[in-house]
Amino acid sequence: MATESRRDLILAAMIRVVGSKGYKATSVADVIEEAGASRTTFYKHFADKHDCFLAAYDMLVEQVFSEVVANCDGNQPWLERMQRGLSRIVELFALDPELARTAVVEVAAAGADARQRHWDAVARFTEFLEGGRELADGRELPENISLMSAGAVSGLIFDELLAGRAAELPALFPDLLFAMLVPYIGPRAAADEMRRAAAAR
Amino acid sequence: MPQAEGRRRERWRPPRGRHGLPPEVVARSQRERLLEATIRAVAAKGYGATTVADLTREAGISRTTFYAMFDDKEACFLAAYDNAVDVLVRQIAAAYEAEESWPERVRAGLAALLEAFAAEPELGRLALVDVGAAGPAAQRRHRAALQRLTPLFDEGRDFVPGGRGLPANTSRMAIGAVAGLISDELAAGRAEQLPDLLSDVLFATLVPYIGPEAAAREVGETSR
Repeated sequence: MATESRRDLILAAMIRVVGSKGYKATSVADVIEEAGASRTTFYKHFADKHDCFLAAYDMLVEQVFSEVVANCDGNQPWLERMQRGLSRIVELFALDPELARTAVVEVAAAGADARQRHWDAVARFTEFLEGGRELADGRELPENISLMSAGAVSGLIFDELLAGRAAELPALFPDLLFAMLVPYIGPRAAADEMRRAAAAR
Repeated sequence: MPQAEGRRRERWRPPRGRHGLPPEVVARSQRERLLEATIRAVAAKGYGATTVADLTREAGISRTTFYAMFDDKEACFLAAYDNAVDVLVRQIAAAYEAEESWPERVRAGLAALLEAFAAEPELGRLALVDVGAAGPAAQRRHRAALQRLTPLFDEGRDFVPGGRGLPANTSRMAIGAVAGLISDELAAGRAEQLPDLLSDVLFATLVPYIGPEAAAREVGETSR
């Protein structure tokens, strides 16, 4: 087997094991067992558990990011793009609760550099939200409005994942949509979108 | 124990040796000292790197005293966290209740929160950053602590016409937005500048209830 794909197998195993056991309780032994790799292979690619986790986290972010981008089309209006992007994240998290827990909950336990990666990832997603300013018709919106929008959405998702309800995330989608849109378009229009999304389910 | 003597100690400590103080007074003072020391030590080293030895040294207590009070580092951290949250929630609620209209009340509560974090950056780090590192029990405590603030936000439902029709999760959204903004400042090491964030956290709190236009207006009016 090519070493490249062996490395990827270990990274994928790290995401699964951390998602189910938690970062602190995860050992290198757990990860190599899950990956079907040897200790030698592990240490050929990574200095330690933390080093491997950071690489796994980078891979995870790239995966989610490319899935979200693939589900959006730059020609669609902002509102539709945001709706499709958010719905893709919710689907991915519901399908793979371990990935979701690693991405959102466990990353907080993996040290300051892991948390920094989490923030950087959130910042990448908030850039998409910036387009919502166009809807403000020249009204002055706070500089960090996209961070408010992302914070509201990720807080709700965090609570669901912490409670082990990843599978129920799609049912929460209309609320998440409201949370994401409301700083830009206000409660009335956001509630319309929310009801439309609920009816479409 | 003596190595703690050289450090700054503002809090009253029982005299050493024979002092005839009732044991529960000594125990309470040791416990408070330990909880405060825990906040300082965790803020300085991070939760993972902090040891029980760090905590006993910083608090100036013995290992035996530590284990008489707590089973382990996690139990001590959770007690320190609960203690800090109680104080914080009381400060926020007092500021909130001193005002009349809902936007004014929210502004006062948020200002109290930001000032508390700015005055004691360790507290903010503990409440929003380190708690994530301390395991699932701490994370659940953290979410529960945030939920204690929901009644303050939810008064917004009565403030706006049609507010009852807002999603049930509206207060959690507002709290998430505020927590995100504050965490971002703390992560960037800007705890002292937190009070400058008041306009933004106020906007974030009001906007799901009253929309961007009215929220911006309230921010302008209440920021005086």
